[in-house]
Amino acid sequence: MTAPISNIAPIALPQAIAPAAAASQSGEFQNVLSSAINSIESLRNSASDSVQKFLTGQNEELHTTVLATQKAELAFELGLQVRNKVVDAYQEIMKMQV
Amino acid sequence: MIDSLTDSLEQYMNVVSLRQKLVTSNIANADTPGYKTQDLDFQASFQSALDGGAPQSAEVTGLATKNDGNNVDLDREARLLAENAMRFSAASNLMRSQLNTVKEAIQGGKSS
Amino acid sequence: MSLFSALSVSASGMAAQRARAAVLVENIANSETTRTTEGGPYRRKDAIFSSEDVSSAFGSELDAQLGGEQLTGVKVSGISVDNTPPEKRYLPGHPDADADGYVSMPKVNPAEDMVDLMSANRSYQANVSAMSAVKDMIQKSIDLLR
Repeated sequence: MTAPISNIAPIALPQAIAPAAAASQSGEFQNVLSSAINSIESLRNSASDSVQKFLTGQNEELHTTVLATQKAELAFELGLQVRNKVVDAYQEIMKMQV
Repeated sequence: MIDSLTDSLEQYMNVVSLRQKLVTSNIANADTPGYKTQDLDFQASFQSALDGGAPQSAEVTGLATKNDGNNVDLDREARLLAENAMRFSAASNLMRSQLNTVKEAIQGGKSS
Repeated sequence: MSLFSALSVSASGMAAQRARAAVLVENIANSETTRTTEGGPYRRKDAIFSSEDVSSAFGSELDAQLGGEQLTGVKVSGISVDNTPPEKRYLPGHPDADADGYVSMPKVNPAEDMVDLMSANRSYQANVSAMSAVKDMIQKSIDLLR
């Protein structure tokens, strides 16, 4: 005789592994993300400092300032594109029928 | 994030700028009694700049000295003026191409 | 500062050479002047050059004081007047002749000053070229922003 469905115990991952796996995966990605954001931020800060020094007539070469701003811009652009890709991927996953 | 090539190019532009500044000083003082031509050893200064040091300028030896103690040779300075300008131009063009390449790579070939 | 102060250096060179040329032209024009308002013949003048540190127009005074980068320009530190006794030429009929028939003439050699003038011109041109080259370099830096 078949048992009613409600009596079948659901499959569950071993409790210990699941949170650890989730934590280490999100931890790594989080570290990568925050270090990327930090380096973008520090590049933007040095660019901003360089522009400030140039404007106030301190001993800053123009090409140094221009290059600092270009590097900051590229880093930011990269971060932006990565973010767009991550958001797209997330949305793809959300669209999946499970 | 950007590779060491752009760092090298930036240091190159720094050293060329410094050398050009010395050339303009030499030209301005071409008739100043007692003035000695100043220059820097380009490759040595460039290597030192790559390692984070500051380029050093020094007096140039082997130039003919006039009666008033001045040893500026305008032909030499004119040659260096042109050479430095071309080197700076080359480095900045290479830099621009490098930055554009990185930008293209980031944008994946589409303008967003 | 930076490359902009190199523009000031070339500008100082141009100004100094112009002052030098002005003095030479005055000498040449007055090479035969036997009578001046101060009395006596024209006295030869010379522009004295000396090195002087320049900072950019945009540079801060504080930075210059703190020993920020100083570039060596030039300035005319003075005009020296030749006060040595003038040459005397024997021209008894000349209106400015003294009792013995000698006229005090300016100690100017026009040929020498002419050559000097050409040298001043050449140096001036060199400073103009230098300023132009530096301006191009600055422009190249700006173009990196495109």
